[in-house]
Amino acid sequence: MAQVVLDKVNKKYDNGFHAVQDLDIDVADGEFLVLVGPSGCGKTTALRMVAGLEDISSGTLRIGDRVVNTLSSRERDIAMVFQSYALYPHMTVFDNIAYGLKIRRMSSTEIEQRVRKAGDMLELGHLLDRKPKQLSGGQRQRVAMGRAIVREPQVFLMDEPLSNLDAKLRVQMRAEISEIQRDLKTTTLYVTHDQTEAMTMGDRVALMKAGVLQQLGSPQHLYDHPDNIFVAGFIGSPPMNMAVARLIRSDGLSLQLAETVLPIPESVVRARPGLARYVDRDVAIGIRSEDMEDASLARDDAPESRVRAKVALTEALGSEIVVHFDVAAPKPVTADTKALDKDAQTSDVPVAHRGNVFVASFGPRSRVRPRDDIEIVVDRERIHFFDPDTGHAIRD
Amino acid sequence: MAIIGTQAGPALSTPDDTPPPYEVVELGGAQGGWFRRVGWSHLVGILALAFSLFPIVFVVSAALNPVGTLSSSTLFPTQVSLVNFTDTLAGSFPRWFANTLIVGVLSAGVAMFISASAAFAFSRFRFRGRRGGLLSVLLIQLFPQFLAIVALYLIFTEITDVWPAIGLNSIWGLTLLYLGGALGVNTWLMKGFFDTIPKDLDESAKVDGATHSQIYFGIILPLVRPILAVTGLLGFIGAVNEFLIASVFLTDDRAKTAAVGLYGLIADDQTRNTQFGLFCAGAVLLAIPTVLLFMYLQRHIVGGLTAGAVKG
Ligand SMILES: Nc1ncnc2c1ncn2[C@@H]1O[C@H](COP(=O)(O)OP(=O)(O)O)[C@@H](O)[C@H]1O
Ligand SMILES: [Mg+2]
Repeated sequence: MAQVVLDKVNKKYDNGFHAVQDLDIDVADGEFLVLVGPSGCGKTTALRMVAGLEDISSGTLRIGDRVVNTLSSRERDIAMVFQSYALYPHMTVFDNIAYGLKIRRMSSTEIEQRVRKAGDMLELGHLLDRKPKQLSGGQRQRVAMGRAIVREPQVFLMDEPLSNLDAKLRVQMRAEISEIQRDLKTTTLYVTHDQTEAMTMGDRVALMKAGVLQQLGSPQHLYDHPDNIFVAGFIGSPPMNMAVARLIRSDGLSLQLAETVLPIPESVVRARPGLARYVDRDVAIGIRSEDMEDASLARDDAPESRVRAKVALTEALGSEIVVHFDVAAPKPVTADTKALDKDAQTSDVPVAHRGNVFVASFGPRSRVRPRDDIEIVVDRERIHFFDPDTGHAIRD
Repeated sequence: MAIIGTQAGPALSTPDDTPPPYEVVELGGAQGGWFRRVGWSHLVGILALAFSLFPIVFVVSAALNPVGTLSSSTLFPTQVSLVNFTDTLAGSFPRWFANTLIVGVLSAGVAMFISASAAFAFSRFRFRGRRGGLLSVLLIQLFPQFLAIVALYLIFTEITDVWPAIGLNSIWGLTLLYLGGALGVNTWLMKGFFDTIPKDLDESAKVDGATHSQIYFGIILPLVRPILAVTGLLGFIGAVNEFLIASVFLTDDRAKTAAVGLYGLIADDQTRNTQFGLFCAGAVLLAIPTVLLFMYLQRHIVGGLTAGAVKG
């Protein structure tokens, strides 16, 4: 068991592309750290540097108490699960799992014992004689896991191991991998572009954008306290609703969101002294869908928490009703939002073409219909504030 | 098929005795007899088969012809006997045959290994001179080898003086020569195949702790078996059938390969007619190892071995 420390690690490819910039990450001993970000942000590059498959241009990489920058993969005592699984097609499942042990000249009884144990753990026992092409996608994935487990390495590295599975299997394997990691307590660096995986699996999450670390913290911390618009928009599904509003002073501070004036509670202003600098200026605000509720369902709310809207679309999911409505205030436009839009276009989330559509999730007993004029209660304690130019969270 | 004409009224069925009020016009489709649809391709196939089988049948017939002369040979033998075979085996042929096998196996096997190693390096490593190396290998290959015969002959005369074992009149020298000849094409052919083996496999093995040679022998070579089989087979056939260079290099009867030796049987006008049966018997015998090798390698020459390596 060991910790992994990346200290100002950089990667410049031969063509001059700076794929990873000053990356500082420390994975504690036994921790499950998820490295997440849109595709092309340098996650794989970072992981491959840890694995020893890619040279480190500058910075220090420590595994345990050794600096391993110049050590080869085999000397780093790591195991890696590839996105493609990279099973050896000419070997049986048993030989695939045993390969790393045979290379290390382990005795055959010990190999047998370890492979059987891993096979049982992953329910591969009856498949050990098969070749990879005789396995389903999920089974191949397990073999790839088994290969990593039997080695009993200091660190697991996983590069989007679930991205080739269908949705249902992905959910199942997500739980299994988490469970195995908890049992073995092996330090794990896990790369994914799927924020759900990051949220559900990681002890902590490191979010990257364009080669730069944006925020590192527990999933809940990133969700509740995003450092910038990019983190706010990337973490959470549906993505956080964003709009540009004007901060005005009337009694306390208020937000003018198109026609609506929404007073900001005193406690919020106190927690964010920086807000005072934005009086009579625009701010970008973010509201999560669950922080809005149908006013007819919410009982004890202050009347000033209410905003009016016209419903564009409803999606009844049983446990909740997802309500889309137009907001007259524009979306903020920063480098972060552009990066988010680009990511959304490459994923399967539909992009609203024009205007600013908010998404709220109402309780299942809400009776709203498309084209209804409704009142929405906003949890004003939980509004996020960002600088509309830099995208940084406004705090102090 | 197109339907032309109009149907009167909304009637769904027409009385049995009246013809349907539209006519069916066939445009292309299943028109014409069996021959126009399928038969002609059989005919083409049969013609091609006859064309390519003709020389083989003729040679086999001549080999079985007990008279053993060219003038008495017919396409289908009138008499059958193995006398030509026994006569051939009693002469120098076994020696030539062995020489041919040695040269063929050795040059094909070693060329296969050297090319595979070169292809592995060109496919997997990034080093200075990689591009240049690849291009020059190709460029050198563009010069026909027999243009170099004179130069090679002169070089090998010198070598013969210093080290006769690999000089003229030695199958070892000839093997060396063949090795060089096939290297370029084989390397390119193999590099192309190596490139289709996912690099993830190497990297996975590397993380598992394998060295370059363990990756090469344990992971890559088993996966490129089809291309090894193809190049090995082509190399073997090439060496067995090669005549031009061998005839220049091998003049001593004991050093000859079968191609050179058999040619010697029918080289001049007097012997051409009388020894034709012997020649054909030798040719038939010479074909056996190639056919056997082909049959053995056939099951290795199946692509798609990497199927299932990656993705689900
Ligand atoms: N060998 C390479 N040479 C040059 N650029 C590369 C190379 N490999 C990756 N890149 C670039 O580096 C960036 C990060 O790649 P990668 O780490 O694979 O992203 P991710 O895994 O986050 O999707 C991408 O823009 C990619 O085009
Ligand atoms: Mg990647």
